[in-house]
Amino acid sequence: MSDERSSNRFREVNMRRKTGIALSPLMSLLVMMRMWGIGAASWLASGAAWAQKSFDNMPYKLDGGFDNAMTTISGITELSRDINHLYLTTTIIVIGVFFAVAVPLIYTLYRFRAKEGDDTPPKQFHGNAILEFMWTVIPVILLIFIAIPTWKTIFKHDGLAARPNAIKVHVIGHQWWWEFQYPDYGIKTAFELHLPENTPVDLSITSADVSHAFWIPKFGGKTSAINGNINRLSWVTPLAKMPEVAGGDYYQGQCAELCGSSHALMRHVGVVHTKEGFERWVKAHNQAPKVETASQREGEQLFGRCIACHAIEGTPSAAIPGDKIGPNLSSFGSRSHLAAGTRKNNEENLAIWLRNPADLKPGALMPNLGLTEPEIKSLTSYLRQSTYKNY
Amino acid sequence: MSATTHSAGYSKTGIWSWITTVDHKRIGILYAVSALLFMVIAGIDALLMRTQLAMPNNDIISAETYNGLVTMHGTSMIFLFIMPLSAAFFNYFTPLLIGAPDVAFPRLNALSFWIFLFGGLLLNSSYLVGQVPAVGWFAYANLTLKQYNPTHSVDFWVWGIQILGLASLIAAINFFTTILNMRAPGMTLLKMPIFVWTTLVTQVLLILALPVITVACVMLSFDRAFGTGFFDPGAGGYVLMWEHLFWVFGHPEVYILILPAMGIVSEILATASRKPLFGYTVMVYSSCAIGFLGFAVWAHHMFTVGMGPWANALFSAATMLIAVPTGVKIFNWISTLWGGKIRFTTAALYAISFVAMFTFGGLSGIMHSSPPIDTQHHDSYFVVAHFHYVLYGGAVMALFGGIYYWFPKVTGRMMNETLGKIQFWLYMIGFNVTFFPMHFLGVQGMPRRIYTYAPDQGWNLWNLVCTAGAYLTALGAFLFAINFFWSLWKGKIAGNDPWDGRTLEWSLPSPPLEHNFDVIPTVTHLDEWWHRKYSEDGKRKIMPPAPKFDPSTIHLPNPSFWPIVLAFGILMIGTGFFLPDFGNAIAIGTSVTGALIVLGSGFAWAYEKP
Repeated sequence: MSDERSSNRFREVNMRRKTGIALSPLMSLLVMMRMWGIGAASWLASGAAWAQKSFDNMPYKLDGGFDNAMTTISGITELSRDINHLYLTTTIIVIGVFFAVAVPLIYTLYRFRAKEGDDTPPKQFHGNAILEFMWTVIPVILLIFIAIPTWKTIFKHDGLAARPNAIKVHVIGHQWWWEFQYPDYGIKTAFELHLPENTPVDLSITSADVSHAFWIPKFGGKTSAINGNINRLSWVTPLAKMPEVAGGDYYQGQCAELCGSSHALMRHVGVVHTKEGFERWVKAHNQAPKVETASQREGEQLFGRCIACHAIEGTPSAAIPGDKIGPNLSSFGSRSHLAAGTRKNNEENLAIWLRNPADLKPGALMPNLGLTEPEIKSLTSYLRQSTYKNY
Repeated sequence: MSATTHSAGYSKTGIWSWITTVDHKRIGILYAVSALLFMVIAGIDALLMRTQLAMPNNDIISAETYNGLVTMHGTSMIFLFIMPLSAAFFNYFTPLLIGAPDVAFPRLNALSFWIFLFGGLLLNSSYLVGQVPAVGWFAYANLTLKQYNPTHSVDFWVWGIQILGLASLIAAINFFTTILNMRAPGMTLLKMPIFVWTTLVTQVLLILALPVITVACVMLSFDRAFGTGFFDPGAGGYVLMWEHLFWVFGHPEVYILILPAMGIVSEILATASRKPLFGYTVMVYSSCAIGFLGFAVWAHHMFTVGMGPWANALFSAATMLIAVPTGVKIFNWISTLWGGKIRFTTAALYAISFVAMFTFGGLSGIMHSSPPIDTQHHDSYFVVAHFHYVLYGGAVMALFGGIYYWFPKVTGRMMNETLGKIQFWLYMIGFNVTFFPMHFLGVQGMPRRIYTYAPDQGWNLWNLVCTAGAYLTALGAFLFAINFFWSLWKGKIAGNDPWDGRTLEWSLPSPPLEHNFDVIPTVTHLDEWWHRKYSEDGKRKIMPPAPKFDPSTIHLPNPSFWPIVLAFGILMIGTGFFLPDFGNAIAIGTSVTGALIVLGSGFAWAYEKP
């Protein structure tokens, strides 16, 4: 009897000691929590604000203007056509294998369903070496049919030496726009990659900040833009589709590596001109803006506020050495879209952008300049009309 | 069963018994319940994303929120749903399948669970403070550096992954040891159930791959907290090093996700067709080959980063090579069904759907194993379609099949078959309606991780269809929950062996007693239980009566609360890195307190009665 009582007490004391030991981390936690108190409350408030913001009406929309242009199976350069050929071969083989699996599977499920009332187990067989051999070797053979053209295509297009007659372009990814520099022509531009038809092009691709990926599906050859690396991509441009129409053929591209809040709003275009059209573009690009009306003159003055980040060739802003953090606006008036392809380039959209860039692009690095409405009107007419280049 | 086992005196009911449990079966249940709850959160993330993408230029979800949802959806589904649900099966069934009374290190087992739970809670607490990581589930540098992500959002991701990785690593050591050391007498390696083999290969992959992501996360958290320059090109660092480190872990990770599911499918198909798994030895070698080759293909995630033609070509070849053992498995499964007497239970339907859907996903994978083709697929919806086919149509379907298959053993009741079949078809149809059109979107050039798109890209119709499918799938998940709870309450009593199973767990009561086996069985065959029931020519054998045993000879490990305390200490160490905003003293103090808790509880653990 006394044994039971003392063992009960032992268990009680043990439990109390254990509870005490268990509670001490809790005590230190409570002390910490008191100190965190205000900080934690403000964090929770920011959480509530995040939830609220998620469901607000956001005006971050993408304008059209490219019409089904991101398709990956109608390549127009030799690279993208080679890719399409490989794509087709592989798709056929893969569909064949799918049926080689699906048909036996469906047949098996149908033929070997358990019959009502039949409870005896079926014959227990364990394997078949010949079958195992066959369905190991046949896939290897099929894969060789994919691997050999793959290797051929890789070595045909990757790791090539620079070609002497190629147009050299430096492609630089930024958050959230694409910069194109033509070192041989002294041109720096953004969003539109102008190229002559039927000409080799050698791109050197890098990033000024985070990782992006340069991709124009119809040209082929998606390539990552990595800060600290230079990746090479080469094409021969296609022939101009409608040589009689000035302005060139537009081929859409889009950034293909998550790069921050406005990743979805980071588009670019390849523009293919005739050879003469390209020469005209090169000559026109760096000409000074034409400032004719009073509104444009006011805009030219106001542009002085912009030159910390932007440059326009033929103005004092271009004389300041060094790279600018914002896109070069020399041919801004001729570009089809603004804000890296987010909106069509028209009066209304440019006014929205100038009023508050973050309204068009979440996280936009261009600050709100606090411009008044008349200032916006003048700046708009300068940027759209004065920098418009006729090529 | 009048006498009680040695660990009597500790309560078996109530929250405290669950907090202090070291019983592998209870820990398995804890993993499963947590995984399913995290799945609901990650599923809601997906529904929100799909709702936003249903129409072009939609404005329900903002850009930053969308990027946060896409990150959390991927991270949670992988680390907080598929991995822990697989772990639930490892936990519950490995000892039962190998005839062992418990795992090798029961308290370590509990520790893994609590570390996992705290890691998952840490990651999800990012929602509460509005700093959701928005860098994608693979968190590429240098976007993750403080310069581009100044809030704590990335810290939630880094520390969540770090802590979750620790949980998986500890569990892997545990199961690796259990499988190699604690098999019943007579159970040679090639007499183990195939699920135990795939579990073993998975643990090896975890042990080898997790340290890599641990190192990468240490580097990233140091870059963010202390200004080291591992991934900052401005400081002499190298951006691509993150991609290499991540994918050296990340590729074996996807085999970690799929191998347990393959093991479950093998078990279910053999039981459903009432025949042995076709080509068991080949299946074992294939699993090992897949595990081994899985370390040789990581850069196929990096075909566009400019590694050069030789690297691209060689990784492409290795990736194509790994398709061979995988294809062999597919044909072995079909051959398992061939010649059988297939009973189309819900579990069997899930396992069969795995064979079809995983094949499909594997084939789209073959397509982008070719680098030139991949330059059109990479970071487009074609890849999204591929990995959802293998992870959802593959791993998730298999895991749900496993739930229907083993629910009777765990709870003693059958899940409702009618509701199960309806739920299966909702999942199957919903899943295909959601993800098949994504192949078209990929071919039409829609990039990944974009929160909206212009109306004239030709993507409108398929996005709407995908969203409809997502809602259908959600309905299926809802029905699953109903079936789950209804069956717990009112399911038909299962008995020991409702499926006429082949492996040892079906020899035990449903649910098994805490000590598992009254007498550890002596194993003479693969599919030991089947061989005890049936002779070689298919006739039922008369089984000898259960041998007598003295329950007081069984020693079960005592419950312990040091695992949850130690896990909490680890959580505190990580939490310290979030607190410099409140003063360095508080931050350092929190981490140091956490470290002291870890040390202290470690000591108490070591000196505790086993």
